[in-house]
Amino acid sequence: MSTTEVMIGNQAIALGLVEAGIDLAAAYPGTPSSEILPAVIDFKQRKRAPIHIEWSVNERVAMEVAFGAALAGKKAACMMKQVGLNVAFPPLLRGRGKALKGALVIVSCDDPGPQSSQTEQDSRLVATLFNLPVFDASSPADARLLAAHALAYSAGMRMPVILRSTHRVSHAREAISLDPPPPALIAPDEGLKVSKGRRLGIVTSGMSCNVALDVMDELGLDTGVSLYKVAQVFPLSPEVFAFAREMEHVLVLEETDEVLEALLGNGGRISGRGSGAVPRQGELTFDVVRAIVQEVAGGLGLKARAFSPDRTIEDAVSTVSFPRRPPKLCAGCPHRASFYAMRQAFPKAVFPGDIGCYTLGTTQGAVDTCVDMGGSIGLAEGFSDAFEQDGSSPPILASLGDSTFFHAALPLLYDAAHKGKKFILVIMDNGTTAMTGMQPTPQSGGRAEGKSEHPIPIEQAVKGLGVGFVRTLDPYDIPGMIKTVREAGADLRERGRGPAVIVARHPCLLFAKKGKDTSSPVPDLSADCDGCKKCVKFFGCPACFFDESEGCVKQDQAVCVNCGLCQLVCPQKKGGGKGRPEKPRQRRPQ
Amino acid sequence: MKWEIVCTGIGGRGVLLASAVLIEAATSAGYRAMASDELGMSQRGGSVVSLVKVGSFRSPFVGRENADVILSFEESEFYRNLVFLKRGGLAIVNSRKPALPGAVNAVLDARKAVCHLVDADGIAGRAGSVQASNMAMLGFFSHFALGPYTFENIIGAIGRKVAARLLDMNRTVCGAGRDAAQQSSMKTEVAP
Repeated sequence: MSTTEVMIGNQAIALGLVEAGIDLAAAYPGTPSSEILPAVIDFKQRKRAPIHIEWSVNERVAMEVAFGAALAGKKAACMMKQVGLNVAFPPLLRGRGKALKGALVIVSCDDPGPQSSQTEQDSRLVATLFNLPVFDASSPADARLLAAHALAYSAGMRMPVILRSTHRVSHAREAISLDPPPPALIAPDEGLKVSKGRRLGIVTSGMSCNVALDVMDELGLDTGVSLYKVAQVFPLSPEVFAFAREMEHVLVLEETDEVLEALLGNGGRISGRGSGAVPRQGELTFDVVRAIVQEVAGGLGLKARAFSPDRTIEDAVSTVSFPRRPPKLCAGCPHRASFYAMRQAFPKAVFPGDIGCYTLGTTQGAVDTCVDMGGSIGLAEGFSDAFEQDGSSPPILASLGDSTFFHAALPLLYDAAHKGKKFILVIMDNGTTAMTGMQPTPQSGGRAEGKSEHPIPIEQAVKGLGVGFVRTLDPYDIPGMIKTVREAGADLRERGRGPAVIVARHPCLLFAKKGKDTSSPVPDLSADCDGCKKCVKFFGCPACFFDESEGCVKQDQAVCVNCGLCQLVCPQKKGGGKGRPEKPRQRRPQ
Repeated sequence: MKWEIVCTGIGGRGVLLASAVLIEAATSAGYRAMASDELGMSQRGGSVVSLVKVGSFRSPFVGRENADVILSFEESEFYRNLVFLKRGGLAIVNSRKPALPGAVNAVLDARKAVCHLVDADGIAGRAGSVQASNMAMLGFFSHFALGPYTFENIIGAIGRKVAARLLDMNRTVCGAGRDAAQQSSMKTEVAP
């Protein structure tokens, strides 16, 4: 009997690559791709495969490391999220020259929705625009086989190949056989999946294919319809064009852009994004696909069961009041305190923000922009120049995380220091790449497989780039943090040049595995609450909520970690209220 | 047979471990099963949904009004995900409240759905640790023995998914959850 294991799509991709014999894997973490590299490490150990594995400082480095190895004859793979592929553009486009001696698979994981990205972006479109072969995985089991096929295809073509996944494939879980697949199976699962007539032909790839099959099943749509599954999106097989020609009407279901639709290109007969049948944005969930298929099939007079939503459910739920739970920094996150201090020190500042956990500073009014990795510094430079031209000088307070700093900020910060751009940069150092699952940063010196060597302190890099004002402190000391931000502002005014950099250092509580501090519970905020809501509006800890019926703030003990920061924010407590800590709780950075 | 189950709660409450147990129990009983997780952006305290499908499905999505079961590990998330529950479905909600709001009860009745409010935190706290309330929920669910989800299969799957040092406690809490379901169904049976 074969051994199976329930795993997520990203583990299945790693299994496929390791089975196919990769020699090297490099990645920069980014949801939904982050679990692939740790899974490569896992399968390397289980199979005792001699694979070189590393977290790179960004996606371009990851791709160039893999590209270099592939030029030298190795089978290499690199992994990233869809917007990470943008960072790796220079080597990606140069890779078309068919120069590889080995093979290179680029796994790019898209985020339809988007759920955890600044934009949707279709890696299939990038590949198609620039003539790079691309395969679209539809399930974890499919992704495992397609990963192995992509590696062989790359070796044959001597050029890089993109394996596209989406979060719904990367994070789906199913049982996968651990036995090596028979060679005959290592091929794209592509072709006619339903053949029940020519009235409507559905052309689809990736997860959308499986959703469409489930929807057709539920709607009982079984006459007049055929479905063609595409696995190799570019170059597209002539059979797909032949299928589309045979059909009276074609519906294209794909995420997230018009790729198959544009390649098929026979306007009037195609329902898709161009015709308005498929929404231009958002994930193609079961409900979305069900509505599309109902509409298109209904328009063609095909017999199908009708589904109409029962809106009495929403009506009933609308009568209940329950927490909305928008995305927020975790309870006890040290950098909620950093954002709070920035806003308190300069309430009217402009706040260029960045990518990662710290995008969530928007909830505290301390992040105004979120463009790309390192973008906080570039935008701060532009704001500084624009304000200078206009003779106005609102303070500019930029922020980014420690992993983002090493990923993208070095040339930007050098440029800003060289030109004396006037802004304050707060580097929020939590010791790890937290949002994507605690991957190591250059400062920690941690390596992918657990070794630690040659740590590079942030301050050393900042000073080396030519920044004059550099301060480091623990943001849990909120009064000290506010004071330091103001000092940075004073320094910009006095010296007439910047930037000024503050390294706010305190480890991520999840990374440090700090649970709830049960040794010293914090005093109840509700006891002397006068309803000013400062804690809720400017601090916004998920453990604090305002109870309108009682007119006071309350703490959710299931979420509170007893960090005590709210005690430093509440004017009642700061004014000498009962239970005020003598001084900020000291927690040593690790 | 096919089953669609929506597991929902907030980060840090064991929703994903519970759904991992459900998939494990189904696959080891010989069923095809898949799941899809939605974590949102916050790591702790944010909404978490895990969709579990057992049987001959192709995609891991659960459609509106299609779920046979909602397991809600946090009351607020039950309301947020109620649109998934099918007519005649089963909901199990971790809550200390004696009853749901009137309008929600009315819509559940009209749709012939059954909802059990379970003090899973209390059960878990008394039997071991509040942190294991997800196991109390699974134990309660096992009482209904839907498809592969018998108490024995769930206990077996817990054995393969839970760290060894927590195993005894988790099994005890799961058993206490099942006992609570049996007691509440006895009460229902004798009620006039």
